[in-house]
Amino acid sequence: MTEAFPVDIGPQYEGDVIRKADLYVEFGGPKAKSKFELVTLNSPAEVEHGRIEVIGPDIFELEEGGSYPLAILIDVAGERLEKETEPVIERRIHMYTNYIQGLYHMNQREDAWVRLSKDAYKMGLKSLRDFGKILIFLYTSELSVIERVAITFITDEKRVQELLPHALEVYHARDERLKGLREEDVDQFYGCVLCQSFAPTHACIITPERLSLCGAINWFDGRAAYQLDPEGPIFEVPKGELLDPVKGEYSGANQVIAERSLGQYNRVYLHSAFEHPHTSCGCFQSICFYIPEVDGFGVVHRDFAGKTPIGASFSTMAGNTGGGRQAEGSLGMALEYMRSPKFLRADGGLYRVMWMPKEIKERYRDVIPENLYDKIATEENATNTDELVEFVDKVGHPWLRGEVELP
Amino acid sequence: MTTAIAIAGKGGVGKTIIAALLIDLLSQKGIVLAVDADPSANLNLALGLPLEGTVGGVREEMVKDIQKQSLPTGVPMQDILQGRIRATLVESDKVDLLTMGRPEGPGCYCAANHMLRLSIGRLTRNYDYVVIDCEAGMEHISRQTAGDIDVLLTISDPTVRGITAAAAMKELIQELRTKVGGVYLMINRVKGGPPREIKEAADGLGLHLIATILEDPNLADLEVKGIPLIQLPPDSPLQLGVREIADKLKL
Ligand code: SF4
Repeated sequence: MTEAFPVDIGPQYEGDVIRKADLYVEFGGPKAKSKFELVTLNSPAEVEHGRIEVIGPDIFELEEGGSYPLAILIDVAGERLEKETEPVIERRIHMYTNYIQGLYHMNQREDAWVRLSKDAYKMGLKSLRDFGKILIFLYTSELSVIERVAITFITDEKRVQELLPHALEVYHARDERLKGLREEDVDQFYGCVLCQSFAPTHACIITPERLSLCGAINWFDGRAAYQLDPEGPIFEVPKGELLDPVKGEYSGANQVIAERSLGQYNRVYLHSAFEHPHTSCGCFQSICFYIPEVDGFGVVHRDFAGKTPIGASFSTMAGNTGGGRQAEGSLGMALEYMRSPKFLRADGGLYRVMWMPKEIKERYRDVIPENLYDKIATEENATNTDELVEFVDKVGHPWLRGEVELP
Repeated sequence: MTTAIAIAGKGGVGKTIIAALLIDLLSQKGIVLAVDADPSANLNLALGLPLEGTVGGVREEMVKDIQKQSLPTGVPMQDILQGRIRATLVESDKVDLLTMGRPEGPGCYCAANHMLRLSIGRLTRNYDYVVIDCEAGMEHISRQTAGDIDVLLTISDPTVRGITAAAAMKELIQELRTKVGGVYLMINRVKGGPPREIKEAADGLGLHLIATILEDPNLADLEVKGIPLIQLPPDSPLQLGVREIADKLKL
């Protein structure tokens, strides 16, 4: 099927790097000021299938060896396509371009970077139109939900710059939307056992609403890592049956914990710090710890050098929390987990938090409900439990006043 | 197929110049990825290449962006990291240079290092040769950020202390998970033939002595003038020694 194109196509070209010495021209990348790529879903009437437009100089009109601006605008239509799929289709630009012999794609969005090799140019890949034709061929043959594709390449610096703000707006809106992905929306979670060298019974369960403990791997990263290296330390966790919607207990996660903890544990609550909390490795960004005197939680992060109201510092507590154990009332976690709508849902969520370092409180100002913000103590309000009890009494912390209902 | 050669030795034994000369030699046979894994060496200067950023810098930046949650969603972090590493790569005709930079600060780097390993692994398989200039502790090898090694060349000066240090490196590497092909010893800065005691010490420690190199009289002059060291004359003892090794190891 590929004879019609000047160069060969296939996954075998994927890992090939085009070095500067072999470069004919490059678009985007660190040396080009303006570049981006954007996929937009449109109605079928608006997408003229197969249309390819080049605005600005084409490859054969450019001087060899240079770095040039580029916008790749791909319009798609398909009855079963949804707006949510735009980023996934856009990511395919990366995959498909790397399938093309002599083309090389790096980065994404406003950092996009495409290199064309001298060999490919010699073989006849001299126009962005050919690149476009191949992309359209790949899109329609690999993704049957895509019915129509049209591509516009812009190499005119001014035009690229004019359109960039719109692209940035779209990226931003997408990030916000993707941040809203819920556990209910997916069938798979991901797991990671990279920390097992220090914590042999630990496995991170990563869901759209629960980041890895180190904060470095979210659900999307887990999925990507698994697809890249299915045999690797990051693996798929079938969600299984939802056993407890409040505590976040899933049969799939239980099974994985049983396997990966070598039988040490057989249940895990993803959204509670009690009974069967998530295991803690040693890499967690922060610890959420129970303070019996106030029947609430404190949160402390790695960079906080001082002592928490319970008298221990982060590092002392980390020693008691980590190692791969399920430590009741002491949970290693990513700070960003506090943004999750399911954050310790079974225990009262953010409304159960009584203390955190000032720096963290300020950083998470936007997620802490307004009527709660002033009721959470920091190191400036309380350095021991007596002071903490006094503070939360004085301000009337909603949890202690019985104003918080558990789900 | 990529052949990976790591060159290790304590400071001052001529490790970086040997790495640079080997890179230069191998670049006549294929495309070479030079990896500067010694924060106190200046492999880029020896090769006459600029410096554009370090892998360590990329790692720190990633960790920061993760904390700020400023990375785009829907784009795998692995791909972002790969792109950033690519951007620090210094490219020249036959040799590309990757500088590892300073070791990590406090905090958790399990995930970041894992991603680094994958990224660097994907990069290295595009080259015929990978030559790594390592510091004595061989941190990047022990953390496997530099991948598996076909040849480990330990460099020593003609002192028993130097040889003992080389033997320690050999042992260190054998305890690691990294796969290593052959381990060899090269003694640099020898005046006349290699002293018998040194040879015996190497034998006693189970080191395979592959070459000895005479003190190079041309080196000081280049260093004074700030000329890239790979411009040593072809009949210089160091050049001859490096060629001898390449021949013996069939590189
Ligand atoms: S903390 Fe991070 S590196 Fe460690 S197991 Fe969890 S996801 Fe993996």
